[in-house]
Amino acid sequence: MSEPSADGLRTLRPQNPHVEITAVNPRRGGAVLVTVLVACVLILSAQAPARGGRGTVLQSWILSASAPLASAVSSVSQGFSGTLDSTTELFSARSQNERLRRELDARDRELFRLRAEMRQLGEARRLESAGAVLPGVIGSVPVLLVERRSGVHSALIGAGASDGVVPGSPLAVPAGLVGRVVTVGRGISRAQLLLDASAAAGARIVRTGELGVVRGDGRGSLTLNNIATTSSVASGDLVESAGIDGIYPRGVPIGRVESVLRGSKLFLEVRVAPSADFARLTDVLLLSPSPAAKESPEGSQGAAR
Amino acid sequence: MKISRIALLLAGAVLLEFFVGGSSHRSLLPVDWFLLATAAVARNGDFVRAVLAGAAAGFLEDALSQPLLGANAFAKAILGFALTLVSVRVVFGGALAVGAALAAASLANEAIVAALSALLMGSPMVVVSRDALWRAAATGIAGGALEAAWAFPWGEWWKRRRLRRLR
Repeated sequence: MSEPSADGLRTLRPQNPHVEITAVNPRRGGAVLVTVLVACVLILSAQAPARGGRGTVLQSWILSASAPLASAVSSVSQGFSGTLDSTTELFSARSQNERLRRELDARDRELFRLRAEMRQLGEARRLESAGAVLPGVIGSVPVLLVERRSGVHSALIGAGASDGVVPGSPLAVPAGLVGRVVTVGRGISRAQLLLDASAAAGARIVRTGELGVVRGDGRGSLTLNNIATTSSVASGDLVESAGIDGIYPRGVPIGRVESVLRGSKLFLEVRVAPSADFARLTDVLLLSPSPAAKESPEGSQGAAR
Repeated sequence: MKISRIALLLAGAVLLEFFVGGSSHRSLLPVDWFLLATAAVARNGDFVRAVLAGAAAGFLEDALSQPLLGANAFAKAILGFALTLVSVRVVFGGALAVGAALAAASLANEAIVAALSALLMGSPMVVVSRDALWRAAATGIAGGALEAAWAFPWGEWWKRRRLRRLR
């Protein structure tokens, strides 16, 4: 029935004597048949409507076959787009982060400054309201630096000539007298505290009315001098400024008598505890200077000495 | 078989289908001329040409008579291959055998077309109908007649007739 051909294919030997056989190759014919059938199926599917009623069967097949590819392309596209967006957002987020950090730092500094100013203002208002009883209050002044060394007690205050500070201006807190301005700069001034060893102020014992001179001892305490041994001064008596030194106004509390010693001399040794808390000086009240100090600053300095 | 002969066969099938199929005698002689042309090519034993001729004949038939282009091409390509296989495997001769084979091929053609229409167009599937049987019978008769006419010794018959007149 069949014989192997030269090219290895098995060809069929025709058995019909009435037929003129031109070529016999069923495998090639089979391949052509399959090709033709596939073409016919494609042509038929291109005409037949799909089940959903939209398009043809061929379109449905193409869509079904290309769905994974389209999905993959879409995934890759979305991934690429997402990566690009993420990268862009990363860079923008970094710059935004830097900008926000700078803004936050600026806000922090602003907040810190505002809080300090509010605290300063609150302290100044409290000080001014409490110091309403003091004579000639000009305003409150912040204390920038307190210096205590070898009998020198001085302070730097945050006000100067531009703020109306003049040499000899008294400084006080609501509790009592603090000192006076000795050197005036443009924006800051140096003040001599009552505790300084070279500071002095005319004082009066409120209960007895006796006058004396209060001096700093350079160790954080005050002494009241020139009080006669006949005086009836006692511990606890209030001592205030007498207004007789040409520097400090009258009636500002200085302190209370801490101890009275009767020695062999003509005057008593009276130690006075200062009313003002020199360890917590943050703000002081600037008082208007005495008219005598305005006219003769040298004289006032001399009187202080 | 040469391509020109195949083309001539297909053209003849088109003309017969066009004129006979469009006439009032269509129901009397519903011969599948394209199947006959395919069978004529297939009996030469060339699978490739039989398949291609069957496909071409089917396309022409679809273009003339079918709304679904390619259904008869599909069927006749298969039948071309099958008829070629029959012609090279067995002794494919004699009017009766050829007629029977063509009738069976016509029924197979109708069944394949009906199946394709049912699958793709959703039309009801009628594999063997009265029309299909009549068409198969007509095709088988026509094919057998043509085979008989082809195998008839016309030359010898003509000589005998001349001798008879001369006597």
